[in-house]
Amino acid sequence: MNIALAGNPNTGKTSLFNTLTGSYEYVGNWTGVTVEKKVGVLKNKRGNLIDLPGIYSLNPLSRDEGVATHYLLYDDTSIILNIVDASQLERNLYLTIQLLEYGKPLVMGLNMIDVAKGRGVEIDDKLLAERLGCTVVPIVARTGKGCDVLAGKLSEQEERVNAPLVLDYGGNLEEAIARLTALLPADEKLPPGRWLALQFFEGNQLVKEMLTDYIPSSTLEGLYKETEHAVQSETKAKSMAHHIRKVRGNYIQALLACCVNDVEKIEYTLTDRIDNILTNKILGLPIFLLFAYLMFKLTFDWIGTPISDALDGFITGTLTDTLDGWLKAAGATEFIRALILQGIVAGVGGVIVFVPQIFILFFLISFIEDSGYMARVAMVMDKIMESIGLNGKAFIPMIIGFGCNVPGIMAARTIEQPKERLLTVILTPLMSCSARLTVYSLFVGAFFKQNQALIVLSLYLMGIILALTLAKLFSSTILKQQSSFFVIELPPYRIPQFRTLLKSTWEKGKGFVRKAGTFIFGGSVVIWLLTYAGPGGLNVEMNKSFLAMIGGVLAPILHPLGFGNWQAGAALLTGFLAKEVVVSTMNIIYAAPDLHTLQGVMADFFTPLSAYSFLAFILLYVPCLATVAVIRKETGSAKWTWFSVIYALVIAYIVSIIIYQGGRLLGLN
Amino acid sequence: MTLTDLHAGGKARIINTGQINELVQRRLLDLGIMEGSVVSIKRILPLGGPVAVEAKGQLIGIRRREAKMIQVEMA
Repeated sequence: MNIALAGNPNTGKTSLFNTLTGSYEYVGNWTGVTVEKKVGVLKNKRGNLIDLPGIYSLNPLSRDEGVATHYLLYDDTSIILNIVDASQLERNLYLTIQLLEYGKPLVMGLNMIDVAKGRGVEIDDKLLAERLGCTVVPIVARTGKGCDVLAGKLSEQEERVNAPLVLDYGGNLEEAIARLTALLPADEKLPPGRWLALQFFEGNQLVKEMLTDYIPSSTLEGLYKETEHAVQSETKAKSMAHHIRKVRGNYIQALLACCVNDVEKIEYTLTDRIDNILTNKILGLPIFLLFAYLMFKLTFDWIGTPISDALDGFITGTLTDTLDGWLKAAGATEFIRALILQGIVAGVGGVIVFVPQIFILFFLISFIEDSGYMARVAMVMDKIMESIGLNGKAFIPMIIGFGCNVPGIMAARTIEQPKERLLTVILTPLMSCSARLTVYSLFVGAFFKQNQALIVLSLYLMGIILALTLAKLFSSTILKQQSSFFVIELPPYRIPQFRTLLKSTWEKGKGFVRKAGTFIFGGSVVIWLLTYAGPGGLNVEMNKSFLAMIGGVLAPILHPLGFGNWQAGAALLTGFLAKEVVVSTMNIIYAAPDLHTLQGVMADFFTPLSAYSFLAFILLYVPCLATVAVIRKETGSAKWTWFSVIYALVIAYIVSIIIYQGGRLLGLN
Repeated sequence: MTLTDLHAGGKARIINTGQINELVQRRLLDLGIMEGSVVSIKRILPLGGPVAVEAKGQLIGIRRREAKMIQVEMA
């Protein structure tokens, strides 16, 4: 049994999904966090729940929204679970009407019933259910109230056959619907003909594509034009879409008039007051920058670094000593001991040390998403983003990109304009992700002890400024715009639940831990072997190892950037796997027993200036393997994938050479 | 008059959205904002930035340029 979970953005859809399936998905309080359809198994194991992206209507504007329509068109659905925000009933019911026209058994989760009550809105859910001919269950998805009842109702639906909701769209349109459905084959496993016809006349491109499989497109277009003309002269409506919207809107109005009792109208007063400050004319942008600064302070100075230091002490001290003791007791050979302690523990441990900082950063990003501030940031940034050929929404994938570029690039699906979306996809890798953070942390600890947060912030800003500059460049040359587009819903502010924040932090951060256990582990072994072996045999001196030879090839090219040694070359090469591998490689190459020794050793190979140049290069040089894969998938184009790799390399080289050579001219070396 | 002629807090009824970009029009239609809807301006961002419009209890951000093309009358 497949149950499709559909609803407007920001209605608590993902919370409900988590409650019903027991597993956890990523929840965020800004439009479009669910970028792909996600499947979970119901707690009673009776069926699968498919979490579709939030949509206002089945007629999609963005690729993200298309996922939901596509699902209804081509996949096998038994039941639709429609989550509805009770405090926004009128708008939410618009989607419900379209889903009821689709004709599958529908269960409505009337969510945020508590918020609605607080606003003085009373809903007669029994009457609503009777009128719509579906099951309605009042719930509070955030606390789980009513969700058990809802789950029970879902299981009851299995055997039900539902007649689709039929509204009267007026003589001309009804006639055209009849004509179109008559053209459809009866035996095929298609969605209901009336629903297809209505969606087609509303201008749904995905439905049109499907219909052309059965009906010649010239016939379709002829019918469309003829009907549009007839409907316009009959109803004086501006377009067929307007007419259809109006009919549904009138039906909803009549429904609300009998089912809803609006006692008093309190409009978002708290949200208003918060917005007065956060989107203030003068203070809006500075406040955002202050939040960004606080985020970095918390991550590095106040909480993250002390925990990371403690963890480092544990790994290099207690853990290494204990392991060494066991290995000796077990009679392990010198080779095995070296492999485990200098290869795996140094390599993986070097990355694990940064887990606290990364989790704190993810926690803060989750907080911004869940609170509703993210949508405001998009709005505050829109003017700046528009001037470089993007829109405010493009800023959100970029912020998520600070955590990890992969979900950031996927979040770009909510951008409606294809060119703006492509531009966002290829520029998001310039956002400094948490993996790169590990490299910064290592270097700032060694070379910029006094100004750690400031140096790191400067790298983040460098990424942002370059992304904005390149956006302007690309959008006025190779990616010239059609008309730009920006409409964003500003959800009311909510205080995020601590439990939700913790889970969503773990969801985002677990990939990082998994990477440490898999290919950073494997990479560490390989890198260590390459340092242990050389043309002269095993256990060679590090400078005569295979890794030194490989890195040595790159050294002359890197020389003008200030880090022309084989160690840097080797670290950069391995960093393509994942940027944090750079740290593993350095730990192994410099054979440092702990973080502080490593930072001391590095002082022999880098000056503060060349270290900064190296960090800039790390920030920009090439998106990591996983990011390249997701760019390929999201753009569907090898050309644009290559483009994003090559432009990054070129920019990295130029920026680093300017930093290093410029710095030398200024006498900073 | 147009939507941008309103002060923050001002209310008006939409009489024509025909001039704005078709995609914006469709999204507004999805949100139930069309001819006949009563809207109010909640916030105006500086330097020609977006405006926050309230309609039917929801808060929507749109660009100033689009707001300028929405014709309204006093409600």
